[in-house]
Amino acid sequence: MMRFVSARYSGVAIALHWLTVALVFVNLTLGLSMVPLPLSPQKLQWYMWHKWLGITVFIVICLRIVWRANRRPPPHASMPDWQRRAADCSQVLMYVLLTLIPISGWLYSSSTGVQVVYLGLFPLPDLVSKDRTLASVLKWTHYGLNSALFALVLVHVIAALKHHFIDRDGTLARMLPAAWTRSHS
Amino acid sequence: MKLSLALRSLTAWFLIATVAFAAPVAGAQNVLVDKSEISFVAKQLGVNVEGRFRKWKANVVFLPADLAKSKAELDIDLASIDLASEDSEREIRGGLWFDTAKFPVAHFSSTAMRELGGDRYEIAGALALKGVKRDIVVPIVLKKDAAGNRVAEGSFTLMRLDYNIGTGMWSDTKTVTNDVIVRVRIVLPPAA
Repeated sequence: MMRFVSARYSGVAIALHWLTVALVFVNLTLGLSMVPLPLSPQKLQWYMWHKWLGITVFIVICLRIVWRANRRPPPHASMPDWQRRAADCSQVLMYVLLTLIPISGWLYSSSTGVQVVYLGLFPLPDLVSKDRTLASVLKWTHYGLNSALFALVLVHVIAALKHHFIDRDGTLARMLPAAWTRSHS
Repeated sequence: MKLSLALRSLTAWFLIATVAFAAPVAGAQNVLVDKSEISFVAKQLGVNVEGRFRKWKANVVFLPADLAKSKAELDIDLASIDLASEDSEREIRGGLWFDTAKFPVAHFSSTAMRELGGDRYEIAGALALKGVKRDIVVPIVLKKDAAGNRVAEGSFTLMRLDYNIGTGMWSDTKTVTNDVIVRVRIVLPPAA
């Protein structure tokens, strides 16, 4: 029973949220699996797909930021002030990370001397030139930012599940597709 | 101060001595290695990837008035390759690519030089790479830099598979193109 189905996010916001989830999940898995591979044509192919997916995430995040800036999100369910603040902070931080991670990957690729050509069609400018030391810094920056995002997503998911199963306050339902909510209420 | 000066002149002497001994070609004009470069570019999955060689030696005698007596010899230390990452450098030194354990040096020796007019020349020669020797022709343009040095710039397309470079799983030219554009920039001091 879902008694407190409060105002939900707009359809566009919901779609973009779950698209981000899917893209980030696939690209994180791809990223973690490709790095330890011995150099091979397959590894190069995976790196290329990883870059394309990463740039796609960047585009989706830009759309989300524009969308979010123009629409107020539905109000929070009743919860302590610190939780509301923590939720807002972690959301802002996730937007920041989801923007910085693709940028750090793009710069990292440039610093190794490999230009990113999105979908093989759109060459992104090399904002930094080839530099071994810079490449090493950017590689670990990319990794570090991803680790931070992973930790934050973990908290985000745990909090969403806690609100859903323990508080039963309809917080999760705000971000679920309408069809899913109907079939489960 | 005096000591550093002495050290510097000693170093200079060593450099001169080294260059002199490393120059078997008679009358070789010292190539300014710091200003010169041997680089290349290939397409990897549709994206240009550049590299260069950190270590190489050249003996060049270039006499525009006497091209028959002119000569260019290059020895390239293949293991000194500079690529995107240490990972790819390790791979390219391996057996499927340069196999530098067996073939450490690429050697170019000119056989004929031809004037094309307007500071343009053509250098024909043989390139020995990974046990394969092939005739190549390198068009060059001769310019002068601000210091009056003579700058010869040229490029040619090398088909990597002609030299068995990138075999096995790398032989698919959709991953790395067969054509590799090799760029040579040789800087010589002003003609005496």
